[in-house]
Amino acid sequence: MSYALVVSEVRRGIFEERNLDSIGLCALLGKDAILLIPEGDYGMNGQLVDGLLKAKVEEAVFLNPLNMVKILEKVMVARGKPDTIVLTNSSSGNELASYAAGYFNLPIITDVNSYDKEQGIFYKSYYSDKIFGEFKPSGDGTSIVTVRSGSFKEFAADKGAAPSVETIEDVAVSTARTFMEFVEEEKTDVDITKAEFLLSLGRGIGNKDEIPDYEELAGMLKAVISGSRPVIDKLWLPKARQVGTSGKTVKPKVYLAMGISGAFQHIAGMKDSDCIIAVNKDAEAPIFQYAHYGIIADIHKVRDKLKDILKG
Amino acid sequence: MNLIVFTKRVPATQEEELRITGEGKAVDLSKVPFKVNDWDNYSVEEAVRIVEKSGGAVTAVSIGDAESDEVLRRAIAMGAKDGFLVETGDILHDPNARATLIQNFLKKENVPFDAIFTGVQSEDDQFGAVGGILAAKLGLPFVSMVIGIDAFESDHAIVRRELEGGLQERVKVMLPCVMSIQTGINEPRYVSIMGIRKASKVERKVFKAADYQENVVSKIDVAKWVYPPKQAGATILSGELEGACKELLGILKEKGVYQ
Repeated sequence: MSYALVVSEVRRGIFEERNLDSIGLCALLGKDAILLIPEGDYGMNGQLVDGLLKAKVEEAVFLNPLNMVKILEKVMVARGKPDTIVLTNSSSGNELASYAAGYFNLPIITDVNSYDKEQGIFYKSYYSDKIFGEFKPSGDGTSIVTVRSGSFKEFAADKGAAPSVETIEDVAVSTARTFMEFVEEEKTDVDITKAEFLLSLGRGIGNKDEIPDYEELAGMLKAVISGSRPVIDKLWLPKARQVGTSGKTVKPKVYLAMGISGAFQHIAGMKDSDCIIAVNKDAEAPIFQYAHYGIIADIHKVRDKLKDILKG
Repeated sequence: MNLIVFTKRVPATQEEELRITGEGKAVDLSKVPFKVNDWDNYSVEEAVRIVEKSGGAVTAVSIGDAESDEVLRRAIAMGAKDGFLVETGDILHDPNARATLIQNFLKKENVPFDAIFTGVQSEDDQFGAVGGILAAKLGLPFVSMVIGIDAFESDHAIVRRELEGGLQERVKVMLPCVMSIQTGINEPRYVSIMGIRKASKVERKVFKAADYQENVVSKIDVAKWVYPPKQAGATILSGELEGACKELLGILKEKGVYQ
């Protein structure tokens, strides 16, 4: 029977919310959703799917791509090949998906953000999110997709009946890669998630020497400084100031983004702010799609002008 | 330690207006400047640091057109010993096709390695899948999103993977392996024009992708290119800079974050 297999992303006993996007895509595909999950209490609503496949392995074993392909082999023996294997577009989701694609020699489309049912087309962003490509797997066999968080969760619905439950046992565990421990971020005195007003800096600031002038502006406005990934990667601001998927999710009253183009991973971390104001010289920057207000201008000039007015 | 690191020349589209041509057939990149893929810059740096510490050599490999020689010169200027260009005029959108081409090349040319480094993704296609596919095809262990290498020994490495929300996991991986390197893992060294000029004197080997085509078949089709759907979008504060800035301050007051 045809079905879509959702490989769930679980972490430290939690069923990640972005799994709902994977389940939602199955509904759009018009396929029974069978959820693969490690055995244990992950507190998810089983009625969102048609079937549960519980793998009798620990979470860390499950999330290791070298083991996941062995689990998938057993799933295919037990249930036949799925039409689609769906994973989250996340650190572990993409790791598992790409390794499985190579192992089973299957087509893969990552970071899918929408689906056209009529034409069977998956949409995926390209070129700094400025272009979407319409992709189709060639042939009719199994394909693998990873889905962008927030894209399909509205299509995940309670099916009103308990799912079927099967177990996957006797999984061979790899010794070529092993989990050791989690490493938490260091605690710092500034918590950007508590700030009401964030002045957030992006790649557009150009170089580190510009930072003190923005700090001065932030001081005058009583705003807290945060930044996007490129600024953190370059060590211009400490990691604790990072807004985005791999950093913090923030919801301030005002998020003033200067020189941030708006990569999806950044948007995911700030889109629920009450008021987003973006300043960028590139009128095509994706951030203007999400902002409430925008100024299309050189950010340094805006900074200096704001300071002049505030001093005046 | 012999390390292979992949580096790609990509369009710098961050601040460019892109145009779709031929009713969705192509994206016009003719006026867009090109640069090294950000992730690959960090990968090259990480590989060079490892051999500087424990000996061995870094081989930089680029799949692309003749212009990609530019990113090989850059890698050599950073400390790679060799630069190999696998020349192709085709844009390989499908990560399976790209990984298969790489697999064929490594096998046929018998390039020795203890580890292969790729960037987590390339900026142009944002696929992030070549490293994982390649690892599985080569039958090697794989770790992606590597944000720290704590130890690199003769038979294994201890690395940190970036997860979400500031969390990392430490894993042990046996060598040889494939690693996908995340941006921010290090601070890539500055490359001067003089450095690149000097690197130009190191011979780069050119191979033809046509010689490694066995099973290089695209498993996905690009139907067409489209512009992303428009959201509501921002109200643009236009006019003179001073007026726009005053308006901005007015919004801050209205929202109650500035008096």
